[in-house]
Amino acid sequence: MAGASRSFGPVRAVDRIDLTVGDGEFFTLLGPSGCGKTTLLRMIAGFCDLDSGEIRFGEKRIDRLPAHVRDIGMVFQNYAVFPNLSVADNVAYGLRARKTPAGELAKRVEEALALVRLAEYGKRKPHQLSGGQLQRVAIARALVIRPQVLLFDEPLSNLDARLRVSMRAEIRELQKSLGITAIYVTHDQEEAMSVSDRIALMNAGRLEQVGAPADIYRHPASRFAAEFMGTTNLVEARALGREGGLLSLRPEALRLSEEAPEAWPRLAGNVVDLEMLGPITRLGVRLGDGTILNVAILDAPERRLNQADKVTLAYDPARLTVLR
Amino acid sequence: MLAIPHQQRLPIAIAALGLLFLALFLLYPLFNVFGASFLDSEGGALTLGNYAKMLGRPFYRQAIINTLGIGIAATLITTLISVPFAFALARLPVVGRAAILALASLPLILPSFVSAYALVLLFGRSGVVTQWLQSMGLGFGSIYGAGGIVVVYVLTLYPYVLLPTVAAFKAVDVSMEEAAQNLGSSPLRTVRTVILPIVLPAILAGALLVFIETLENFGVPFVLAEDMPIFAVEAFKLFIGETSPNPSSAGVLGVLLILMTAAVLVVQRHFLASRRFATNARRTPPLLNVGRGVQAASSLYCWAIVILALVPFFAIVVLSFMEFRGPVLHGHFSLDNFAPLLGRASRPFFNTLIFATAAAACATLVGVPIGYVVARQRNGMATLLDVVATLPFAVAGTVLAIGFIVSFNSGPLMLTGGPLILVLAYTVRKVPFTVRSASAIVHQIDGSLEEASISLGRPPLQTFLRIVVPLMLGGILSGAVLTWVTVASELSATIVLYSGPWSTLTVVMFQSLESGGAGVATAAASILILVSIVPIALLYRLVRRYGLD
Repeated sequence: MAGASRSFGPVRAVDRIDLTVGDGEFFTLLGPSGCGKTTLLRMIAGFCDLDSGEIRFGEKRIDRLPAHVRDIGMVFQNYAVFPNLSVADNVAYGLRARKTPAGELAKRVEEALALVRLAEYGKRKPHQLSGGQLQRVAIARALVIRPQVLLFDEPLSNLDARLRVSMRAEIRELQKSLGITAIYVTHDQEEAMSVSDRIALMNAGRLEQVGAPADIYRHPASRFAAEFMGTTNLVEARALGREGGLLSLRPEALRLSEEAPEAWPRLAGNVVDLEMLGPITRLGVRLGDGTILNVAILDAPERRLNQADKVTLAYDPARLTVLR
Repeated sequence: MLAIPHQQRLPIAIAALGLLFLALFLLYPLFNVFGASFLDSEGGALTLGNYAKMLGRPFYRQAIINTLGIGIAATLITTLISVPFAFALARLPVVGRAAILALASLPLILPSFVSAYALVLLFGRSGVVTQWLQSMGLGFGSIYGAGGIVVVYVLTLYPYVLLPTVAAFKAVDVSMEEAAQNLGSSPLRTVRTVILPIVLPAILAGALLVFIETLENFGVPFVLAEDMPIFAVEAFKLFIGETSPNPSSAGVLGVLLILMTAAVLVVQRHFLASRRFATNARRTPPLLNVGRGVQAASSLYCWAIVILALVPFFAIVVLSFMEFRGPVLHGHFSLDNFAPLLGRASRPFFNTLIFATAAAACATLVGVPIGYVVARQRNGMATLLDVVATLPFAVAGTVLAIGFIVSFNSGPLMLTGGPLILVLAYTVRKVPFTVRSASAIVHQIDGSLEEASISLGRPPLQTFLRIVVPLMLGGILSGAVLTWVTVASELSATIVLYSGPWSTLTVVMFQSLESGGAGVATAAASILILVSIVPIALLYRLVRRYGLD
């Protein structure tokens, strides 16, 4: 994809995006709502025109092709399972459009349903299925046509929290075992990190940072990237007694002095906020100059901490990121 | 980039065809009516003289006053009656609520001029009840004139206010009420300050519909107005009576009528667009706890209105099985009234069925694709299509028909004298309705279903036919049946356009009204009532059985 742009009125929804997605890669477009990630996905699918720029599959330019000949599988946020067709007919829909012979069609539908663990559900109507099952039908329907690319538009956002976690693992596993290229849109940073080979972080129509999940998390290129990828402390270097501008320091890079290696720099402050969340404890610590740092430490039974206690913190200098 | 984007091609093709159809069979005839009003009687020179001439005559000024006065009175009374009715149905433990709701929607499909005619048969100068009362030495005021017209309008048009208002009362989420009461508001104050403002847009929308219906109605004033000038009737009389080549006088009345209804529609659009409070009740408000007295009074009130509105139709069915000699009723049971209509002169009966079927099919074919585009597209083209497709609503049947005659009586599209002109006029008149109902259904169909189908390899047109149409089927069917029913009892355009063998049941009624053959008229009315109710009942069963809703 090169120079892809699209404006809606005065708003540049997608602004000169250049991207290359590798064969068999699980690639995620991540960003807050309105950042242009869905528009970008719909450009690839053919539901949104480019004002300028181009999209290619390998050597073949596709951005001028009508959506129905692009050979793309798409999984929608609200499933978009045809309510008037049975589960099997939903899955067979794309094959029928391609005039697949009846024998092969039946076999492929069966395989696809087995793949998403719905082998017994072919004859059912969509209204008899749960949300998670509907989304699996949608995935089977998109996979069965063996598309060049599989697009996911926030596929898990209508599911409840527990199901979301198990479905995303399932999607990831399926994609890897079939070796299919996937482009996935989400606004959920944790979801993006758990499924992706690479993430493109988007903001206001532009690419903020592209990279492997751990890279973006550990080395955010901008204030936006640092804040959007999990919680962080944005502090002026002066507050830590250092040179330079704005720094990002993740809460888990801070520890209590007595639990930290000798070499880490120390900071003194008061506990102003204390939240026990089970596996971890969150602290808000006010430093001498008024800066408040968020600290996340693993639970330890012998530790005694109270509101307003004086504490000394230590931080891992290797985990400081200079943002400007 | 000049190329039209792929996903825009189908909507643009539909819009272009729709606009072409409407331009030819709506805008062109209307343009000719406008033209006629600005040309002198020979059709030669441009002039404003026709307007000066018509508006200079006290008779036509009086027609404007009468039409507006009757319209306003009928609208006010309808609203005053229907709002408490709606509140009772929505919130009070009225006895037989489901039955009341079903019976209350019947006047929407029954022809209003039949109700007017029944009133004449019962209470008119030689009416059944009048004579009976006279025989006992009792008399009462005349039902002819403004009073009778208003009564018929109120009794036949009240569902337009009632039904949306009931829905609106039910759509006020309980939490609104609870919040108001929690903040210390008394129940009556809550109704006044919270509930009525939320419901008001629905009431106003219904009231404006009633008003427009009264402006355009031809049959009711034709039966009841006698010498009182009413717009739609005078336009018809002028057109029929005009001998000069250019129907300038009828054109002037037509234009004025269109301007009046269009003004109401514009007011409605601008006023209501900014005042819509959809609250999407998650919990429908519960019935109020009231004493037996209030329950009895509210039940009586609701049943009285529903029954009063249906009595005329019931009476006419009964009367159609009695023996008439001319206009005079004899109290014997007889099937003679039906004999000509179903026997040797059955042409109008079959014409009615055929025209209604053809028009329902055409209006569906034209309206459903337009409704789809109007619902799915957000651009200038869709807005234009929406406005043009709503326009027939502002055009009285009489006026459209005059436009048809002026436009299609010569040249390549010579339609006058045949049946096609009737079917086309019906189609145009019903298009706003099919467009509205189709776009309402499309709004409920998730757009990503179509995108899913397209990305799976079905081009847009196939997607429309394979996914959208099947999902719309129940709604399309209901819309078509309702169109069928209302076309079967159409009078105002028919009466201008029919010719020779192409008369319909409404024309038979109309003619026997003029010639005093009450027997045939009652039989025609009975058949019309039957023809209106039976398809609706069948549809209801069909929709229930196959779960098409």
